Amino acid sequence: MLVPARTLFLLMILSGLPALASAQSSTLTGASRSMNPAISVNGLIRGQTSRENPTGDLNGFKLDGVELQFISVVDPFWKANFNIGMHPAHAHDGEEDGHDEGMVVHVEEGYIDGQSLPGGLGLRVGKFALPFGKHAPLHMHQFPFSDAPVVIAAFIGDHIFSDTGALGTVTVPVPWYADFRIYGVNGDTMPFDAHNKNLVGGGRLTNLWDMTEDSTLELSGSYLHGPDARHPGENKSVDMYGADLTWKWVSSARTRGPALHMTVEAVLPDYEEGEGDPWGWYGLVQYRFHRNWWAGLAAGQADAGLDHHEEVPGHEDHDHGLEGDLREYKVNFTFVPSEFSSLRAEMVYYQDKVTMEDDLRFIVQANFTIGSHPAHLY
Amino acid sequence: MLNINSNRSAGRAATVRMCVFAALIVLSLTVSGQAVAKVKVVATLADLAWIAEQVGGDDVEVSFLCKGHRDPHFLPAKPSLARKLKKADLLVYNGLELEIGWLPLLLDAARNPRIRPGQQGELNCALALGEGEILEVPVGEVDRSQGDIHPLGNPHYLLDPRKGIAVGRLMADRLARIDPAAADRYRSRAEHLAREIESRMEDWEAQVDSLAVKKVIVYHQHWEYLVEWLGLEILGVIENRPGISPAPRHVEGLIELGRLQGPVLVIAATWDHIEAAGRVAEKTGSALVVLPGSTYATEEAAGYLDMFEVICGKLETAEETAEETGAEGGS
Ligand SMILES: [Zn+2]
Repeated sequence: MLVPARTLFLLMILSGLPALASAQSSTLTGASRSMNPAISVNGLIRGQTSRENPTGDLNGFKLDGVELQFISVVDPFWKANFNIGMHPAHAHDGEEDGHDEGMVVHVEEGYIDGQSLPGGLGLRVGKFALPFGKHAPLHMHQFPFSDAPVVIAAFIGDHIFSDTGALGTVTVPVPWYADFRIYGVNGDTMPFDAHNKNLVGGGRLTNLWDMTEDSTLELSGSYLHGPDARHPGENKSVDMYGADLTWKWVSSARTRGPALHMTVEAVLPDYEEGEGDPWGWYGLVQYRFHRNWWAGLAAGQADAGLDHHEEVPGHEDHDHGLEGDLREYKVNFTFVPSEFSSLRAEMVYYQDKVTMEDDLRFIVQANFTIGSHPAHLY
Repeated sequence: MLNINSNRSAGRAATVRMCVFAALIVLSLTVSGQAVAKVKVVATLADLAWIAEQVGGDDVEVSFLCKGHRDPHFLPAKPSLARKLKKADLLVYNGLELEIGWLPLLLDAARNPRIRPGQQGELNCALALGEGEILEVPVGEVDRSQGDIHPLGNPHYLLDPRKGIAVGRLMADRLARIDPAAADRYRSRAEHLAREIESRMEDWEAQVDSLAVKKVIVYHQHWEYLVEWLGLEILGVIENRPGISPAPRHVEGLIELGRLQGPVLVIAATWDHIEAAGRVAEKTGSALVVLPGSTYATEEAAGYLDMFEVICGKLETAEETAEETGAEGGS
């Protein structure tokens, strides 16, 4: 969904004006601030050099994204969360020219959560991040590395994987923590055919075990089914399978003590029509080696599973159909002086095993948040 | 709900239907598994859990989220903690945004309408503090250049045992509303706790009163209430902006101040950056005192009262070692 950035900004500024005008809550003017949502803005700025610069726009500084978040309780029954992201335009955002310097505005999320449903049932309605795997539902400022793993970018998308519909959550009564989420959404986002009237359905089972006071193991599986974007209007479907394993250890004895996170995730798309056996995975390790310093290592692969180079039908109006066998290797260091800012230096090596094209990139990225931003769940 | 019309998907549709069915069974089990006599209290902190146990006695079942040896500012919001909140009838928390980094997330994940903000099952224990009792409330414009974790004033009030008494009474009132049949028992237990704390306070105060060194340097602004109660004086704070690692220049200035105005005691909690606190102690020729910052922070701090016992005892013995090392350093 695209909204002209200027219009949206204007709307935001206008809606904020009455609140800014009254320093204290004012009952008589009706411009009370006391019911305003918690507002935060996150900014991501990147500087990058690319050895090959295949798309011609990879060198230099750019604003990677600006995300605005509004959270508030609506009434005794609902809590709302809006997240509006502005990111540099890509070809797949509908621009003719992939090098467009403009920004596009996405309503990344806009949903309400039921607050008083019986039996601890969860219900979410609106546009929300789909619970498929670990990485796909992340906002850009939560990414562990500057870019999404190639497997996620190739099969799901390089932005947050969000869509419009309804999601239910139930807790599974087992001795460990387990919940099951099931959803039905419209299928407007990549990798779905937005013009197809068939809905997308999916689910995720999350299992967590506290191994010790300081360490947790998560093993989860995801599944979804929907119309395949690679065949617009042809009623072809895709089944997507995902599995992920995460182990987190955070020393509880010391504030900002050592911490270690490890994640392995695999994604297997099964296209109703398509050649080969596409699949991919990534693995990453993050280690807090000093109070404000993290080091990260990652490797990944997105393999189209084709024996030969072949143009996929319907590919021309989409630039994310994977054909080769992409590999990635990443290393980064992140300086986190507070919960609200971080600086990252990263080196990435990409290689396509089929074409033997490769690229080496150096990235520096600044990430900062102002306003009332909630922390993220473990 | 799912419109699936390709032949291959018939089996999948059946699977999805089965999943929905399974989910419904799970739901009905969760709903039917309720109705228990005891009031289930979940406290965010170990101190609050200990107080709730004293006030609630046999009428309650208490658990808590942040283990005593952890810095309560930075608890990872693990889903297993949300699970504890699911069954709670009463949530007691410290307030003053101490738990802001994790409690809102856990509340959302718990989906327990009984303990939502504004409900009877939600109790902000900072309400026990009277007018003007909150220390270090920022004046003037507040922004995060001053640090990011004490925006409403110093939240570590439970290190003043008098506040523990007030919190006990507040809990009794709330428990009495939730469980009116046991109202008298809650109130009499709270008064009993108050008398017990008061009787012990005299000893602790006398113990610290005998100290020759009254000035302290603290690592985090965790000890303000303790220091005020015991009549000590804070000369400086190593982590001068709460939640942000101190700048070397600030630490140097503090060492200089400690040398000029010493002798001092350097106080840190078990979870603090002990090495940094140790350097300040070493360079000012003072003793480093590592104290339990919470009930159950160490093995000896086996209760709220034991925690004060340990704190006052350690301050006393630390002064003795400080005098020795100070004498050595001075000669
Ligand atoms: Zn603090």
